[in-house]
Amino acid sequence: MMAMILIVEDDVFILEMAAMMVQDWGHHTLSASDVDDALSLLRSPQQIDALFTDIYLNTAVFGGCELAHQAVKLRPNLRVLYTTGNAVTDKLRALFVEGAHFLRKPYTHHQLQDSIEGLLAA
Amino acid sequence: MSDIAASDIVETVPSALIVLDRNLNISSANRAFYQTFRTSPGETEGCHIYDLGNRQWDIPALRSLLESVIPHRASVEGFEVEHNFPTIGRRTMLVNARKILRPGDHDGFILLAIEDVSEERAARNESKRNWQLTQSIVDTIRDPLVVLENNMTIVTASKAFLTIFGITEAETQGRRLSELGQHQWDVPALRHLMEKVLPENKPIEGFEIEDTFPGLGRRVFNLNARRISQPGNHAQRMLLVFEDITHRKQRERDALSLTNEISHRIKNNLQIIVGLIAYEARWTAAPCVQGYKVMQARIGAIAQLYDLISQSSRGRTVAVDAYLRDIAKTMSASLLGNTSGIKIDVKAEPLEIDPDRAVPFGLLVNELATNAIKHAFPDGAGRVVLSVEQIGDQIELTVADDGVGIKDENSAKVPEKRGSEYVAIFVRQLGGTIVPSGSEGPGTIVRIRLPLLLVPPGGAERVAA
Repeated sequence: MMAMILIVEDDVFILEMAAMMVQDWGHHTLSASDVDDALSLLRSPQQIDALFTDIYLNTAVFGGCELAHQAVKLRPNLRVLYTTGNAVTDKLRALFVEGAHFLRKPYTHHQLQDSIEGLLAA
Repeated sequence: MSDIAASDIVETVPSALIVLDRNLNISSANRAFYQTFRTSPGETEGCHIYDLGNRQWDIPALRSLLESVIPHRASVEGFEVEHNFPTIGRRTMLVNARKILRPGDHDGFILLAIEDVSEERAARNESKRNWQLTQSIVDTIRDPLVVLENNMTIVTASKAFLTIFGITEAETQGRRLSELGQHQWDVPALRHLMEKVLPENKPIEGFEIEDTFPGLGRRVFNLNARRISQPGNHAQRMLLVFEDITHRKQRERDALSLTNEISHRIKNNLQIIVGLIAYEARWTAAPCVQGYKVMQARIGAIAQLYDLISQSSRGRTVAVDAYLRDIAKTMSASLLGNTSGIKIDVKAEPLEIDPDRAVPFGLLVNELATNAIKHAFPDGAGRVVLSVEQIGDQIELTVADDGVGIKDENSAKVPEKRGSEYVAIFVRQLGGTIVPSGSEGPGTIVRIRLPLLLVPPGGAERVAA
């Protein structure tokens, strides 16, 4: 299944690499580097099947979590995959939207592929 | 009532009684008087009250009673006289006096009933002094505290409590803690714990409450409570101490956000490296791709060790036991999954290593355990045991499996050889040695001895570098 995936990541290099990998597997990508950019894409009529977001976005420690909550309000069927290099505590997990997936940073090409496929298949 | 009956009553009452005539001469006294004041009828009767027993009854307070009060009143009750009697020492007497007039006798008598209340007064004073002492101790403790009654009402609150929460003593007494202020302490979880302190003698340790307090702002309090009981008294009360941990909490939060910030950057940098490798792999011929994959996995292992080290850190050291368990858990999740027939167990003594050695230690365990998982169990079932124990002044790390064992080391393929070279490098980096082990049954066992911790646990100084 070919899908449109919105990737949100504050590090441009990581963002570009992730987009390239995801495109390698035949998907389309949209990119945003902060919550506001991502929200304007989510508010547009653009088709988006999944959100792949870093949790720590610039100065917003839980920016990705806040974004995902607003995103599922806008698009209730949106699938969400979080990533972070920080420790995933129970407190952090409690901030996840229902049914969200998680990928630890640094992730390899294959780990990202498995996660994206798992997300789209769920 | 006949005279005989009256004198019988007088003789049997426990209070000391004396009868004085109008000139304050003693006309009679009862047995209790003679016993209490260690005197006899011979020494007493007919004697002027002030002359009695070397004038020991010539007491200013008694004089004022007999000379100023009695003449104007028919009776006086509860007149307290404190005096140091040469025969019986310091005493507090409660005197009741009554004028008795007989028909035809205009002058009448004065009946004095004297009760010795010295012990009762001493006990009351002692109790008052104890209370003052307790209160002064309570008031010198900087942490606010309250003593609660069985029904959770406040018996006493320390000065610090009153000052910090801006309330008066009157506002606290007899009130429940939950009724104070803006009901900040009206927390179901706290109430539930407090209800167990007295009946189950279950202290509350470190219950945290964060709220905005009028005049104080946002504060975090750490609550501790325990049962207190007085000897000889069945009543039990609860001592509840409020420790203001706002600043400590803030420092912890600052440290945590700094850790998160640093971790975020390190992981992003590692992600960039992994991304660069992945990018290279796109243009690389298929036979070489495996090498890039292994490289990415090792970088992933370092990143995970970084997390595990920060979780297992105890001050300046890393707890090896907790660290080893974390490594086992992470490897199980990433390499085996829930359905695997291969199990990783940990047997670890509580030992510590310095953080400098934690990464090579973790990579070493990772390498050995990965080798075991990859090669020992062609049938996909078995057990890998990671253990650490102290042997003399060394730590022995053992990675053992119950798999097929190594047939011939010389026949090992290139990647395995590279793996064992890594093992040798990590062991050297850790200042350790590989212990040759014979065949002790099925499977493979690798023993490595490392010097014990170079930094004393929690110690400030590095003993050797």
